[in-house]
Amino acid sequence: MSVQSTVRPEWTVVIDPVLQKELEQHIFVTNWPKLLEMIDTVYNWGRRSSLWPLGFGLACCAIEMICSACSRFDISRFGAEVFRGSPRQADVMIVSGTVTKTMMPMIARLYDQMPEPKYVISMGACASGGGPFKEGYNVVSGIDKYLPVDVYVPGCPPTPQALLNGLIALQKKIDGESLADAVWYKPEVERDIPVPVLGPDLIDVRFLEITAEKTAQGVLDAIQADMPKPLIIPAPQPEKAEEPAAAQASAAAAPMSAADKLRAKMGGAKPAEAPAAEAPKPAAKPAAPAKKIKKAEARPSLVWLGNDKLKALSDRLNGEFGAGTSTIIEAGLLIPADRLLAVGKFLRDDRSTRYDYLASLQSVHYEDCIEVNYHLDSTVHPGTLIELRVRTDEAEGKGEVPSLTDIWPGAEFQEREVFDMMGVRFKGHPNLTRILMWEGYAYYPLRKDFLEPYYEGPTKVFDSRVEEGHGHHFRSEELNPYGTNLKIPRGYEDWDKLSSNDDVKGKNLMPGGVQISELETDQFVVSMGPQHPSTHGVFRMNLRVDGETVVGLKPVMGYMHRNHEKIGERNTYLMNFPFTDRLDYLTSMGNNFGYALAVEQLMGDDAKVPERAEYIRVIMAELTRVASHMWAIGFFLNDIGAFFTPALYAIEERELILDLFEWASGSRMMCNYFRFGGVAFDLPKGWKERCHKFVYDRLDGKIDELDKLLTGNEILLDRCKGIGALTAEQAIAWSTAGPVLRASGVNYDIRRAAPYSIYDRFDFNVIVGKNGDLFDRYYVRLQEMRESVKILKQAVRDLPEGPILPGKKSYQIKVPAGEAYSRVENPKGELGYYVVSDGSATAYRYHVRSPSFINLTSLETMCVGATVADVVGILGSLDIVLGEVDR
Amino acid sequence: MALGKGILIGHLVTLRRFLLTFTHDIRTGKALKRRGGGDLPVDLFERPKTLPVIQQDTETEGIFTVEYPDERLPTYERFRVLPVLVYDQEDGNVRCTCCNICAKVCPPQCIWMSQAHSPDGKPVTLPEEYYIDMDVCMNCGMCSEYCPFDAIKMDHNFEISNYERHQTHIYSLQDLLVSSEYYAKTHPDAYASTEQVTERGKVAKKKDQRLQKALQLSRG
Repeated sequence: MSVQSTVRPEWTVVIDPVLQKELEQHIFVTNWPKLLEMIDTVYNWGRRSSLWPLGFGLACCAIEMICSACSRFDISRFGAEVFRGSPRQADVMIVSGTVTKTMMPMIARLYDQMPEPKYVISMGACASGGGPFKEGYNVVSGIDKYLPVDVYVPGCPPTPQALLNGLIALQKKIDGESLADAVWYKPEVERDIPVPVLGPDLIDVRFLEITAEKTAQGVLDAIQADMPKPLIIPAPQPEKAEEPAAAQASAAAAPMSAADKLRAKMGGAKPAEAPAAEAPKPAAKPAAPAKKIKKAEARPSLVWLGNDKLKALSDRLNGEFGAGTSTIIEAGLLIPADRLLAVGKFLRDDRSTRYDYLASLQSVHYEDCIEVNYHLDSTVHPGTLIELRVRTDEAEGKGEVPSLTDIWPGAEFQEREVFDMMGVRFKGHPNLTRILMWEGYAYYPLRKDFLEPYYEGPTKVFDSRVEEGHGHHFRSEELNPYGTNLKIPRGYEDWDKLSSNDDVKGKNLMPGGVQISELETDQFVVSMGPQHPSTHGVFRMNLRVDGETVVGLKPVMGYMHRNHEKIGERNTYLMNFPFTDRLDYLTSMGNNFGYALAVEQLMGDDAKVPERAEYIRVIMAELTRVASHMWAIGFFLNDIGAFFTPALYAIEERELILDLFEWASGSRMMCNYFRFGGVAFDLPKGWKERCHKFVYDRLDGKIDELDKLLTGNEILLDRCKGIGALTAEQAIAWSTAGPVLRASGVNYDIRRAAPYSIYDRFDFNVIVGKNGDLFDRYYVRLQEMRESVKILKQAVRDLPEGPILPGKKSYQIKVPAGEAYSRVENPKGELGYYVVSDGSATAYRYHVRSPSFINLTSLETMCVGATVADVVGILGSLDIVLGEVDR
Repeated sequence: MALGKGILIGHLVTLRRFLLTFTHDIRTGKALKRRGGGDLPVDLFERPKTLPVIQQDTETEGIFTVEYPDERLPTYERFRVLPVLVYDQEDGNVRCTCCNICAKVCPPQCIWMSQAHSPDGKPVTLPEEYYIDMDVCMNCGMCSEYCPFDAIKMDHNFEISNYERHQTHIYSLQDLLVSSEYYAKTHPDAYASTEQVTERGKVAKKKDQRLQKALQLSRG
């Protein structure tokens, strides 16, 4: 080793070479590099053995990160158990999950606040390179676009073991570092990341000039102008008016045929087969000469009011409010916008209808209109679901519909979502601002004419993947002239106004109606989240507090909006299954269930589920419920101060359930196990026995143990009783669902109210609380687990032998045209999927009614008057999962 | 309810659990057994020869910690991480026929493939190029589920953390190929299942026919 340059001169002078050699052999430190090496060894050992991660989770991967910190995988064996809430105390940032544009400025800030030396682990495909959501308009294609990443952990999601493997890789990297060339001691090296700006899109300030230049050139618009556009169909017309419908259809034939050609090229299931023998409906008549589309039975949902009663209701409305008030279209009532409020009030208050529960609200972009539709159900007469339709101008930003927030307050967030995604304005809405994207974002993304930055084609499969002459790998970045997931309208000029200090997402949502300057007392606004240990993900609340009391609260969300619905409209029906896993990532089996039901409703008898598959589905769904409620209770207790003991107890059982899932489906969390008409695989050998043992011998005892550990605890009672209460009327009006609704004393469980699958065969009770406070929500969940075990016992006992799919497994799914809304009782509440099919291989419109999102609508009502500490508990009691809130 | 009774009960629950972890082990004779290493006795000075797998049973209170690099969770056969392409060990025949079905069912569209051509320009039922972008792959297993030739399968190897992604995270045909022997080891049940045995038989027959034809040609 040549060390001449660094050896201290006096040493070389004094020591003669023989002695030097002798010394090197017997004494460690003879020169600077050796001393440094020794110090490095100790220094690196110390650093690598106490890597404190930032307690920071983004999406699905965060759940696996938490699991790796829990007792089964125990990250503390590596000295990394100290998850710090503050970036200032953390050494390593585990970027766990999808990095969205909305969240990116926050991540950059957090990174900048971390002290040196700091490391970044990019966990999962999404954080590394955008992952499955890469094509989305709100997803950053890889955290390494902004932060220097040290270790990539591939997988979707990586199991806890894989994360530990990544941690070991990081430790090895640290072992190789040296004090001499540590970047963080070099003041000239700038390690801070300039915070990107939420302008018309996510603007990286480092490339501001290039971006502005490219925008002015309009290259992306030019490229996308030549691309095949998504198909846009005319809205369904009333059955009676056959002539105009036919005329419209033939008028639409010309543009549609071009789109058909496109479809054919895409190789998807071409809807060219003859209509089935069933033709009782005049709508199925071959109105369009261009092609014959098989139509599904017109019904809004599996359990609904029924054709005859709907006719009677429509006639009644016409009698009450004058002719033309209500027209039946595809088993839904078309209401003119100007009479919507009156009709809504009538439907809610009339004794015979009592449609007091707004189940779901969504919109569809048609060629000639944007349709906003409402699914209404009654908690007094459950199972009488109807659908209202309102149509408005199709042009961007022109549509306007009266807001229904006065009649059903639960419409508030859903209307904001429609405004955000489609640009429809709601007249009379108290706070009509964007909810998932940010104010200033340049597009309304769910409109059919919006092409994303990485747009490749209207439907999957993309030509570039398989077709002759293609097949060479490229990254989506290469498609986009900006080289990243970016799209800015050509006319954008306000580059100077962009500032890293702006917080466009939270700005317009300061709660309360009064200006701070007008107040005499000390009220101030606290922004809690999106990086906060107790917000269950990247959720944010703007609190206005008077001392310790909350006087106003506005939830801010969208930090994990990963474009599920837009991607879902490009996916073939089958492809969408694994995406539904990633909605509420704690309950992937339940999500699969709902989605399968929605498409099966359209497919009708083509997808008749065999007995065995029905039982397997119920077993999986109920195991999911237990797992999810375990998690909910554990982390709710965390929120109210019982730090981690109850959570660790609860997660143990969840782990065992995940083992069962992994055994049957191949993945702990992203099961992707359901298929249309059945399930993907049969249960492996020995699964049933293990499940039997688990359900019969273990689960009851564990639930009892949890009950004993927690329910009588005086601190828990003090923190929970009477806090965050919702009365039954409030809970219904705010459209809350699931345990939150039932804790308020409303006996409304989709499994009973609108039975699906084979739930009518099982003996179980719907658990109902009394007061609707935190304690009732906790206790309803606990008891619901017992009911789930009851169902599980019956299902495991009766599980028959037989096939698991109605026919041969095929990837070509033929879905007749029509629309469907499926509802399942997911652990978080009513999970609904609204699917509009145009008879092609992909859904025309795909919307998720997510219980977590809609339950948040009532958050302000619950929190006003409570203390800040209670707000944390109230949020915990809602049991939200951000993947589902923001979708 | 007396003040603090609930808290005391809660403490008793945790105490019970703490004691049970020891007494249960002693009662069932597991205390001196090597955990996860089968029935061998504890040996503090030597590591077990094979990598211990911790299979959690349903009787034990609580849950075992899986001391990851030294121990593993059991790997279930259906466990899926990234796709691999299988070739037949005995003759090196790549099973993939480039039928595109995997690319057609791939939800995030992370598979790129193109067909091989013979020197005279005729398409051959083999992939020329095959790429999987593992920064896009969502490990859903659809490709292996719908592959009609048992060519693409889900690998079990999850220890693939690395320091770089732009070069290493795109798997080409060479990176993806694994032998059927490896596959038979990781998926013993599926490998022995009737469907796969029949499929292999079919392929073998086809290969045999082709060989016979070639032989005849050479003789003639």
